[in-house]
Amino acid sequence: MSTSQISMISVQNLVRDYGPIRALSDVSFLIERGQVVGLLGPNGAGKTTCMKILTGFIAATSGQVLIDGKDIVEHGVEVRKRIGYLPENAPLYQDMRARDYLHFVARLRNIAPEKIKERIEHVAKVIQIESVLNQDIGTLSKGYRQRVGLAQAMIHDPEILILDEPTSGLDPNQIIEIRELIKEVGKDRTVILSTHNLHEVTATCNRILIVHKGRLIADGSPAEIQEQHGGSNTFKISIQGAGESVKDTLKGLEGVTDVVRLENQDQAATDWRLFGAADVDLRADIFNLAVQNDWTLLELHHERQDLETIFQRLTLT
Amino acid sequence: MRNILVIARREFFAYFGSATAYIAIALFLALLGITFFFEVPFLIAKPAFFDARVADLRPLFEWMMFLFAILLPAISMRLLAEERKLGTLELLLTMPVTESEVVLGKLFGAVGFLLVALVLTLGYPLLVSILGHPDVGPLVGGYLGVLLVGTTYLALGLLASSWTSSQVVAFLLAIVISATFTFIDLVPEALGLKAIPAFEVLSFNYHFKSIARGVLDLRDIVFFVSIIIGAVMLTTWSLESRKWKGA
Repeated sequence: MSTSQISMISVQNLVRDYGPIRALSDVSFLIERGQVVGLLGPNGAGKTTCMKILTGFIAATSGQVLIDGKDIVEHGVEVRKRIGYLPENAPLYQDMRARDYLHFVARLRNIAPEKIKERIEHVAKVIQIESVLNQDIGTLSKGYRQRVGLAQAMIHDPEILILDEPTSGLDPNQIIEIRELIKEVGKDRTVILSTHNLHEVTATCNRILIVHKGRLIADGSPAEIQEQHGGSNTFKISIQGAGESVKDTLKGLEGVTDVVRLENQDQAATDWRLFGAADVDLRADIFNLAVQNDWTLLELHHERQDLETIFQRLTLT
Repeated sequence: MRNILVIARREFFAYFGSATAYIAIALFLALLGITFFFEVPFLIAKPAFFDARVADLRPLFEWMMFLFAILLPAISMRLLAEERKLGTLELLLTMPVTESEVVLGKLFGAVGFLLVALVLTLGYPLLVSILGHPDVGPLVGGYLGVLLVGTTYLALGLLASSWTSSQVVAFLLAIVISATFTFIDLVPEALGLKAIPAFEVLSFNYHFKSIARGVLDLRDIVFFVSIIIGAVMLTTWSLESRKWKGA
């Protein structure tokens, strides 16, 4: 197999048990070079376990992880050289200055001593931590600590960045800044980030893996997931001049599976949501039904389920 | 080796970056001075320096060993327990380093602290040499002995620190282990029984006394080095076991 055919990250049938609890169950996926992938799932879904296995911190009960074709267990040290990792909550040595900490990491990352200063300054500029380099990490705000964590993950210019909940606990402005940073650094490397926040993945990733109860339940770009998991299509209508029997009349329409009345402020009109079978476009039938019954159709909207609804539906069971 | 030295350097400077190291060393030097120069009716039957009026340095090293049994667990307790508690262990072990490099780096950093403490005790033999003429053999043997026994305490403390995320628990475990090994040969005597050879073989006190007399018996050195290597191996295994347990 040539290098170009080998996936950057290959996860095959990963299982991880904590005693009697199965945290990951037969998870498989491939990630190619240059992809920014969001591992999405509710708390306790298995995202962090997956990341800890990918970085070699814990072992899988069974299954295999290959990084550029190399097994993470057999070639642990060699593989870890190519990965930059930011664990959840950016655990750093509080008693060290940011500069000294980055120097320490750079030495462990085998950067030549004469190049360390240059690398620290470069990464500090990219991550925008130049102003706090000489401060003790313990005195930094959470946002800056997160940035120093990101800087240590990038100090050796790794091909793969693994970020566990990179924006957790940050304020909205800091979240936007970190997302921009991830997008920027993801332009020329493979990035996997975990989050339970849907906006995070849609804002930063070009591929989403949804994990729930230890299983991979969806995989694709945001558009592909909407396409694959959109489920039943719905239509929202607003009608004026309809009588008491409108619900039954709407239910009688062929292809309609359910009808729900919606709350609205307009006394003169009533709003309804019609649930149709998948792939059935009811707009023309609804319009014709309104004409037949002498209703004034104020609004007719074909709703497609957005990612948030799909995510909720997939992970609430 | 480079990774070991990088980790050792960070550990060494971490001690001296806070007040802990200075307080511990000051307390150690003060207690050592009091116990060596003045009569303290505990553990060592020999009269204190000013009472005996003999330039004998052996009690100095015996007191060092006893004080290290308490001081060094306080130094080793944070080595891995704190990393585990803060989560920094995860970052360290996902760098391209092996578990044994981490363990040796931590141990060497702590031994660096021990060396600083030992260098600062040089004032006592210097004072004794002004007042009398101590033998050089016991002086060299004494320092070699406390360095060996001190490193052994640190290695056992490091092992205890790898078992828990609580520094207090790590400290107490290390004291219990260190004290047991140190005084086990004295137990039969304290109970009014005959000496038990197996207890003597296991006792730090027994092997240390031999070295501190200035007699460098390979068996004593091998004894301490074996315990240090054993503790390092067990600590490495303890760190590796997180992969299956989940840290």
